[in-house]
Amino acid sequence: MPPRDLMRAMLTFGGVLRSSGLPVTTPEVMDAVRALEAVDLMDREQVYLALRAVLVSRREEMPAFDRCFDAFWKFHADEGQGLDGLIASPQAMPPDEQHGESSSPAAQEKAQIALDDWEDEGTGAEEEPLEVPGLSDREVLMEQDFSTFPAEQLDEVARLTVLIAKRLARRMSRRRKPTRKGGVVDLRRSMRANLMKGEIIELRRRSRRRRKVRLVLLCDVSGSMDLYSRFLLQFLYALQNVFGRVETFTFATRLTRVTDLLRGPSYKRALRRLTEVRDWSGGTRIGEAIREFNQSWSHLADRRTIVLILSDGWDTGEPDVLAQEMLALKRRAGRVLWLNPLLGNPSYEPLTRGMAAALPLIDHFAAAHNLSSLRELATHLTLR
Amino acid sequence: MRAEIKKIQEMMEAADYVTDPAIAMSVHLAMTLKKPLLIEGHAGVGKTEIAKVMAKMLATSLIRLQCYEGLDAAQALYEWNYPKQLLHIKLEESTTHTTSEKEAAIFSPPFLIRRPLLQAISQPGAPPVLLIDEIDRADEEFEAFLLEVLSDFQVTIPEIGTVKATQPPYVILTSNRVRELSDALRRRCLYMWIDFPGFEKEVRIVTRKVPGVNERLAREISRFMETVRTIRLAKVPGVAETLDWAQALSSLHADHLDEELVAETLGCVVKDADDVKRLKRELASGGIGRFVAAQS
Repeated sequence: MPPRDLMRAMLTFGGVLRSSGLPVTTPEVMDAVRALEAVDLMDREQVYLALRAVLVSRREEMPAFDRCFDAFWKFHADEGQGLDGLIASPQAMPPDEQHGESSSPAAQEKAQIALDDWEDEGTGAEEEPLEVPGLSDREVLMEQDFSTFPAEQLDEVARLTVLIAKRLARRMSRRRKPTRKGGVVDLRRSMRANLMKGEIIELRRRSRRRRKVRLVLLCDVSGSMDLYSRFLLQFLYALQNVFGRVETFTFATRLTRVTDLLRGPSYKRALRRLTEVRDWSGGTRIGEAIREFNQSWSHLADRRTIVLILSDGWDTGEPDVLAQEMLALKRRAGRVLWLNPLLGNPSYEPLTRGMAAALPLIDHFAAAHNLSSLRELATHLTLR
Repeated sequence: MRAEIKKIQEMMEAADYVTDPAIAMSVHLAMTLKKPLLIEGHAGVGKTEIAKVMAKMLATSLIRLQCYEGLDAAQALYEWNYPKQLLHIKLEESTTHTTSEKEAAIFSPPFLIRRPLLQAISQPGAPPVLLIDEIDRADEEFEAFLLEVLSDFQVTIPEIGTVKATQPPYVILTSNRVRELSDALRRRCLYMWIDFPGFEKEVRIVTRKVPGVNERLAREISRFMETVRTIRLAKVPGVAETLDWAQALSSLHADHLDEELVAETLGCVVKDADDVKRLKRELASGGIGRFVAAQS
């Protein structure tokens, strides 16, 4: 097969992979062509292994790659067609691989709650005090439970959430500026500064960069929790420049990683995408969700990670499982915080079996039911 | 073409590395495409070995950069030899050299300490194999820096100038997934995931690497390990543990597994106190038969 056809086939294949969620780049596609030139094109296994080595870049992508490869490969070695099988039409792909922006009217309506584009927010009004959004009629919003806001006010509350987060972010990053003293001796600069003196008299220093903390958020999105997780998410993403990275998972009966869905400039679009992947089935199995995290995603949690679990603790799973998995999580993570919106109610006591099992294993237990509790939360988002 | 891959497989076997087609293909492509190869997998499945075997196969040198938290460019790339510079300044005290002459003298190649990355780039002759081990332990800033070095294999030292590799080194990166690596780095590399070996492969590894172990014991050991890996442990044992254990059993002149022997040597298999307890419990409840039951 002439290289041009090979190139065309690989470009199509790259497109198929991309529509299945593998972010394949053009240089990789070029490398795929070069790789194919270095193997036996008549040998399916070789072609498969070569393309996999080039086009897959993490283990989790392998099942999707395998599916695409099988669908794409119409190879009949005995007919001597060789790689012609690779030039399959895109229609051969299973329809569920195609992404669409459409969603149900109900989902659309849900997603209407919120917001403007991230980056435009909070750039003005630098010196306003943190107590913010200033005006007294807004003060009352600070203490009001998220679930009690009427729909038309949600936009405003969402905007305030981001505003508070941005202020906090600015404050927290300011705190990290290097001090004049301390830090590591910068020998290179010291050497230059003391060239004529024959010995080092004056030490030049540079500050050691503080490493950022990573946040892992496990959000309960079953029924009543949905609204709370929405605001918390918004809050944390706005704080993102303080943290190295926020990784987000949602769960009800199963765990879904949604970090990638929340990327991008428009938070509104992000939330819409989130609504699409939501698992609407009833019941919450917190223990199993955390187990799934521990098994498949534990590499995301280390000593520099703060894990936040947002849930009301109504668990339909086994409390033993929850306790066991919380322990495993605690062993890996730097700090584990549990946010329970019900805690905002003065008469609430964590008596559900699940909550009681988890409580001893939590570093900090807090509410996240209104704006002022979110602001409060920021002070706990440090490792020690 | 196929012959080349076959040859690699043979050469790897000759270098005492038990391989499979996927590994041979990745090594083949890393050498032909000259792309860095990122290898991920559980601890102790032989990721680092691949770089060593590759250097042996290519009859070239292996340069290793072990990553750790806080690793920075000075430790990875180059550093000035400060004590030597100081001495030199002292010695030159009474001379009439100007400041700029002194400066030029102490910031010249003899005062340069070449760290692994610079070594790999500036090595004359055949390109070496550069092993960047446990990249996931280094910070994200270092990863970004590494990406830059890997993309053009050149380094600018302000005082000396730009050093560019005449022939880029073969690069192998390994990761235990302590931290998630950036997409940019991943996409730059060929990727290989090494899983725990299957039963037959593990038997081959044991008989190959530990000559004192007979076929029956090797099969029992591999079956045992296969079962152990299905139990949820804090640290699942890898091939390194299998080999440690086989070595221990061999020096005890064992020719098959029994309960007493396993209990005595369990420390070779699992190395976490909780895991030992857990495994002992499993052994007590199911008996050793469950672990070594021949499925053939």
